[in-house]
Amino acid sequence: MFYRIAGVYHTRYDKARALWPVPADRWQITVVVIFALAAPFLLSDLYLGSYALPWLIWSAATLSLTLLMGLAGQLHFGFAAVMAIGAYTSIHLARFGVPFEFALLGAGIASAAIGALFGAAALRVKGLYLVMATLAMQYLVDWVINNVPAISGGAQATLRTPPSSFLLISLESLEVRYYLALAWAVLLAIFFMNVKRTSFGRALVAIRDKDFAAAVIGIDPFRYKLLAFFTSSFVGGVTGALLAFCYYRAVTPEQFGFNVSIQLVAMVLVGGLGSIIGGFLGAGFVLLIPIILTNLVSGLAASGFLTVSSNLLAHLPLMIYGALIIGFLVFEPLGLAKIYDNIRKYFLVWPFRHSRS
Amino acid sequence: MKWIIQHLFAVTLVGAASFGVASAQEQPIKFGLLQDFTAVYTFVSGEYNQGQRDYLTLINQEGGVEGHKFEAIVRDTGNQPQRGIEAYNRAKEEGAILFDFLSTPVSRALVDSVLKDKVVMITPVHGRGDASDGEVFHYVFPTMATYWSQATVLAKYIEDHGGLEGKRIALVHIDSPFGREPLPVLQDLAAEKKFELKAFGYPSPGNEQSAVWSEVRRFRPDSVLIWGAGGGQPVSVREAIRNGIPAENIFSVVWLAETDAKNVGADIMKGVKRFEAVSTGTDTPILQRIKAKVIEPGLGAGDATHVGTSYYNIGVATMAVAVEAARNALKSEGAPLTGEKLKAGFEQIKDFSAEGLMPAITITAKDHQGGGAGRVSQWNGQAWEPVSDWGSAYQELVQKEITKGSQAFKEGK
Repeated sequence: MFYRIAGVYHTRYDKARALWPVPADRWQITVVVIFALAAPFLLSDLYLGSYALPWLIWSAATLSLTLLMGLAGQLHFGFAAVMAIGAYTSIHLARFGVPFEFALLGAGIASAAIGALFGAAALRVKGLYLVMATLAMQYLVDWVINNVPAISGGAQATLRTPPSSFLLISLESLEVRYYLALAWAVLLAIFFMNVKRTSFGRALVAIRDKDFAAAVIGIDPFRYKLLAFFTSSFVGGVTGALLAFCYYRAVTPEQFGFNVSIQLVAMVLVGGLGSIIGGFLGAGFVLLIPIILTNLVSGLAASGFLTVSSNLLAHLPLMIYGALIIGFLVFEPLGLAKIYDNIRKYFLVWPFRHSRS
Repeated sequence: MKWIIQHLFAVTLVGAASFGVASAQEQPIKFGLLQDFTAVYTFVSGEYNQGQRDYLTLINQEGGVEGHKFEAIVRDTGNQPQRGIEAYNRAKEEGAILFDFLSTPVSRALVDSVLKDKVVMITPVHGRGDASDGEVFHYVFPTMATYWSQATVLAKYIEDHGGLEGKRIALVHIDSPFGREPLPVLQDLAAEKKFELKAFGYPSPGNEQSAVWSEVRRFRPDSVLIWGAGGGQPVSVREAIRNGIPAENIFSVVWLAETDAKNVGADIMKGVKRFEAVSTGTDTPILQRIKAKVIEPGLGAGDATHVGTSYYNIGVATMAVAVEAARNALKSEGAPLTGEKLKAGFEQIKDFSAEGLMPAITITAKDHQGGGAGRVSQWNGQAWEPVSDWGSAYQELVQKEITKGSQAFKEGK
């Protein structure tokens, strides 16, 4: 009815291999993309700068991490440190006079090099032990940033981004920064969709499912695990640089602390491991729901619907947020992406009851 | 998902709008108190914010300032910069002209926005010390002694009670920019007064410090400065006493309060000294009026037992300064107030002591710290008892650091 898959015949290989073989999906994507492109004209600065922009950048970060955690199955609890390396590298390069485009590249390379170095631990340890190794990375990077004034920027430990431009367009205005973040998020999403269909992506999935089995069928786990860490850290580093230049416009160590790593893991898990739409939904959930709940609860209290002590008022959004996470995970353990998938499958065959998968 | 978010937005907007309509008739002056009530700063923000709101209620009960009432926009930021940015932008749209974040990460992330948007940010007893330079940080007002001034006041006290020369002084600090902040000033002072200074950092959040304190014991210090906040502070005091350092030789940054004494043990902590920027207790006229006109009619913003505690009184003092600035601004610049007018009001504050609640401060276009005065008080088993007079010390050393920091900021670093 809605999706009208009856009558869609794939007569050519490239049609069958298209990213969205069903026309209804293409329509939905088009609508979302049009909304995203028109957002600067539809939303006020408040919603563009404090909701849409950070959402896109964190979605990009979630996608970077889900490549490693969802596709390759390597747990990473220090991804904020990877982003920190990117942010600090780019800002120091830009202040040194390197054009922003190359600073972004440098950020990616520095993050990838250091990220792959710590990722080498993954060649020997798995699961919870790998979590420990990546946690060590988080704390080491934090410590280095905090204790080397040349990196952190001296007594106040705040580095402001110098005025910069991307492809000759100044990053001064919010709209430009939004479009840059949007371009990066879209690029990453497309990259991710395609990675899943390459031999590299299939090798990662094989390693995730069982690495000895992958080795038996001729996949070199050493090479592919390192490559997964390298790729994921590269895009993570660029995302960190964009976070610094497009959103915060000043970097401080706390922006990349341990709690941010945990938030990123939460974004990946709440969204759904290894899913692209899950990356966007998870980032939106973890980043925006606390803000929206805080405003909602304060609004209710201010208009007199809710009379509780100010201490409870501050913690009420956290309680609701916690309940929401538990609720979602009980309702659908595979994350928001699976909820989307269930809804889509329901409408795929509507008005009939069951879809095939 | 998008649908849900948009509807949540709508509900929030309706809530905010109805709130706006209800109070639009009186044209209140809005202050954004966007603080961390749920994460790292919980040890202070509850009492601090309660003091701020109770003082604003007191002013409103007394008829406001020239007929203008005050309104506090209170939001939790959870100490996360991205939530602080959202709360700031929203409060700015609602018309707030003064902001107090009481969170280092959030205020750092917003310094540039505040300077660009021309609204006032106050960073009382915390925040970046170099913002005292009003000619660079036009819209940032520390208004009270910064960490640098706190360090010099404590050093001056040690000098007045036994001298500094040849002494060994340990700075035991949390290993973060905040913990290291007093170092440059103390190092300069150590060179000038010829005492031996050694810094010992313990890892954040400071629940576990035993390794550091055994090193401190080997250093055999004559005085120890403890520089931390929240849960790390009672641990520092306990460890210091366990390592044989007499309580009288322990000096703390401003963040040591009644709750910490309760956690350490009120008797064990007897003798420990700390810097204070605002007097404690309810003996001052403003606190008496808050008790009579706000707490007794049941208009208080929280638990009445907090009234008069250290952090509550700091909160009261911050708003006393802000309201004084608004009064000056209304007098000289006229209504309606904007961030620019309020800034001018701040810079006209002269010898203002909030009726004895705090040392007299004078804020000028150059000096946004207001003199950097404070005093040392000592825990006597039940309460904090002042053991020195209000005053500032070695402000030339502090000024040197301020200039160094603000010049670097100006050059874009």
